[in-house]
Amino acid sequence: MTAARGQALRLPFSRRGTAGRETRPKEFDRPRFLKWFLVAFLVFTLAPIAIVALFSLNSSKSLQHFDGFSLQWYQDFLNDQQLRESLFASLEIATVTMVVATLLGSTLAYGLVRSRTRFSGATNVLMLIPLVTPEIVAGVSALLLFTQLGMQLSLATIMIAQVTFSISYVTVIVRARLSGLGREVEEAAMDLGATRLQTLRLITLPGLWPAIVAAALLVFALSFDDFVLSFFTTGTSPQPLPVRIYSSIRFGVTPTINAIGTLMMLISVTTIVLAIALPRLVGRREDRTPLLGGEV
Amino acid sequence: MLFAVPLGITLAISFGTVDELGNAIYGWNPGNYADVFDPLFGPVLLRSVAYATATVVLCILIGYPIAYYITQFGGRYKYALLGLVVIPFLVNYLIRIYAWVALLSDEGLVNGVLKDVGLTTNGVGFLNTSYTVIGGLVYGYLAFMILPIFAALDRMDSSVIEAGKDLYGTPWQTFRHVTWPSTFQGVLAGSVLVFLPAVGDFVSAQLLGGTNTFMIGNLIQQQFFGAGNWPFGAALTTVMMGFLLIFMVFYLRSAARAATEARA
Repeated sequence: MTAARGQALRLPFSRRGTAGRETRPKEFDRPRFLKWFLVAFLVFTLAPIAIVALFSLNSSKSLQHFDGFSLQWYQDFLNDQQLRESLFASLEIATVTMVVATLLGSTLAYGLVRSRTRFSGATNVLMLIPLVTPEIVAGVSALLLFTQLGMQLSLATIMIAQVTFSISYVTVIVRARLSGLGREVEEAAMDLGATRLQTLRLITLPGLWPAIVAAALLVFALSFDDFVLSFFTTGTSPQPLPVRIYSSIRFGVTPTINAIGTLMMLISVTTIVLAIALPRLVGRREDRTPLLGGEV
Repeated sequence: MLFAVPLGITLAISFGTVDELGNAIYGWNPGNYADVFDPLFGPVLLRSVAYATATVVLCILIGYPIAYYITQFGGRYKYALLGLVVIPFLVNYLIRIYAWVALLSDEGLVNGVLKDVGLTTNGVGFLNTSYTVIGGLVYGYLAFMILPIFAALDRMDSSVIEAGKDLYGTPWQTFRHVTWPSTFQGVLAGSVLVFLPAVGDFVSAQLLGGTNTFMIGNLIQQQFFGAGNWPFGAALTTVMMGFLLIFMVFYLRSAARAATEARA
């Protein structure tokens, strides 16, 4: 009975199934329009950036006609003392933020993973709050905090604000790697007579360093690129590069901005690509930088 | 801690007033909040939400097909294609918006080409419209939509789409009943991740728009630089944060749930 019913169910399915396979709409297997959509998308997203880079090499001042290659706008940029100061200010901020945030964030990650207290679950979620807060809110509250404390706005205030918000990135990345490492190896080391410090130095850190370096590079790029937070916490001089660019764009487009923009693109894209590629090159495939999926 | 204290101060100042020198002083002045909902600023608040919503919708419409094509048909080039799609979004947001200003401004490249071709003599005023501001926001935050959808589609077993075909579903039916429901969480995560920064953005409206496209971010920025009513700016920030908190809590809860599921 059951066999007969199974037969009855299966027969028409398989018969019509083969027929259906031939008449199945073609777009199921390789929708052509999606391919062209992707191509159009790539053109639209890449072209504006490519054009900025191209016109930064333009020999004339025109933004409409390309009249041959020259490096004069880069020279202009480097000869402008204010802009040069801004570039160094940005590099300084990014470096300090990177070092401090990486140290604090990695320590925090280690503490969160290796001391399983009741709070670590809640802290895991709390760590994400700065990542989803709109930057302008962070900027306004940082500005108000500094002025209420009577602090003079300067490069230092930018660094403090950026460190606060970069710690989260470091912690999320390092924590993901640390959870993947497993505690057993550390316990084995301690069973073999290693002290806690020796275990940390010889076992944990070598396993963690790709994640730590990746996090540091990412923080450097984010900090170097940051505009909103810097905008709210910057003093008058020297201002970081993005803030300086913003005020000049408001007064119009110039070829020098093309040059600065291209330079900034090169710096941030290289660091982020390195940050993403590094753990993949040295680590196992599973440890992807977790932030990119927009999930925990 | 480092995060809660500054927010608390913002809240405190939002109730304050200004002294004759324009410095913020603490006090009890809920009038700042009444001002936020003043008919004068109502359109700005509505516009911010409307622009951000339009941005989310556009991001889904553009991001989903892109992520779908790459996961389903990318084959061994899947990650290379994803990288190609994401690279523009690694470029500084400010520079990306600037790139569009350089293209679309009156002396920009597009107008130059249009004039050369002879389509226009006086140039077309592209900037200062809602379209350019929303376009800027989409160009700014699209990656936050593509990546979660990509992750969701990548996780999905694509043999369920096969099954959909075998059961005589049309492509549209299969998509509606199989693919879309199983990747809906990714779309939701992407929507929140795009919506949050888009509401608070002021760069796109400042550079690609004008005074009639101002968003709440521009209003806040004005209070702190220029017009200078800090308590009012703080009140605006608090209202915006309160509104966005709903979406943040929602996102964090689903993130926490996903984490516990992954562990189990």
